[in-house]
Amino acid sequence: MHHGEYKTVGGKLVIADFSVQDGQLCDVSISGDFFLEPAEALQEINDGLNGMPTSATQDELAGAILDRLSPDVEMIGFSPEAVAIAVRRGIDES
Amino acid sequence: MTQKRTDWRDYDWQLIRGAPVPVEMNHALDEVLVRRVGAGKRPPTFRFWDRQGPEIVLGRFQSVRNEVQIENCEADGIRINRRITGGGAMFVEPENAVTYSIYAPPELVKGMGFADSYQYLDEWVIEGLRSLGIDAWYEPINDITSSGGKIGGAAQARRHGAVLHHATMAYDMASTAIPRYLRVGQEKLSDKGVTSADKRVGPLRLQTQMDRLDIIEHLIETFRQRHGLQDGQLTEDEVAEAEELVRTRFGTEEWRYLLP
Repeated sequence: MHHGEYKTVGGKLVIADFSVQDGQLCDVSISGDFFLEPAEALQEINDGLNGMPTSATQDELAGAILDRLSPDVEMIGFSPEAVAIAVRRGIDES
Repeated sequence: MTQKRTDWRDYDWQLIRGAPVPVEMNHALDEVLVRRVGAGKRPPTFRFWDRQGPEIVLGRFQSVRNEVQIENCEADGIRINRRITGGGAMFVEPENAVTYSIYAPPELVKGMGFADSYQYLDEWVIEGLRSLGIDAWYEPINDITSSGGKIGGAAQARRHGAVLHHATMAYDMASTAIPRYLRVGQEKLSDKGVTSADKRVGPLRLQTQMDRLDIIEHLIETFRQRHGLQDGQLTEDEVAEAEELVRTRFGTEEWRYLLP
């Protein structure tokens, strides 16, 4: 299992837990003390990251999340970029 | 036609002083009451909590393993609960905490950003704390803090056509060292170099020397004078619905370990 954490400027912690198979992220679980409306959008964030290659840049990871999110989703205290940093750290530091 | 933002005084706010209930029940009641207010089946409501025992409360999006020392909680009989709002984990003991919930129509914060709505829905509590002599203010997004240290935090969720806004404040220091139950990692501490003075805990007892129930009475009166408030109670139907939700959701391992 890979694990990466990133604390946003506002103080919220974003945590990424995932596995890697054939160079791709799988079983991604993003967690933390952020706020998200609606709550179900957490699955969209995880789904956006599943299948991304471990070679993806921070921008590419953030873009994959944005592509998946419904337009009415509000991320409060974190952002696609913050999630992407946590994931990158989980890839690089494990 | 676009609806305008309403004012607190446009509603007949109802007070519920909760009896001590099993810890899961408070979370189920939040769900039931936000549903009822959203459906127009009860007036906008303001509830103070009480608990029958200690609990760990996780934010909706937190993972149990990442936040909790599970073995120590099990050894000490501390229940691990998950609330329906985001935010961070807390270790809460009945006698050491003051918790309230506001169930509001969304029109009350219409057009406001999230950060503004947190501050707006807690203006009364800042006023109440200041009139007790505490130098309190709101630290965006969701912290209630003071020159004597952090007092508490709020969390919001928009569900079922209403806004749930709840907050827990420290009344006294925890009886057990919090790291026994909660994990505090290096990354969590990484922004605390500059702001560490603000992150000290400044419990209400230390800052006022007042009895916990007297503080709650004072806060209720502050709300009453500012926004209007009538005494009310839970209906049998609401209690039954919450008990059912404890059985089917809030008391289940699936919910507690929703993010393992």
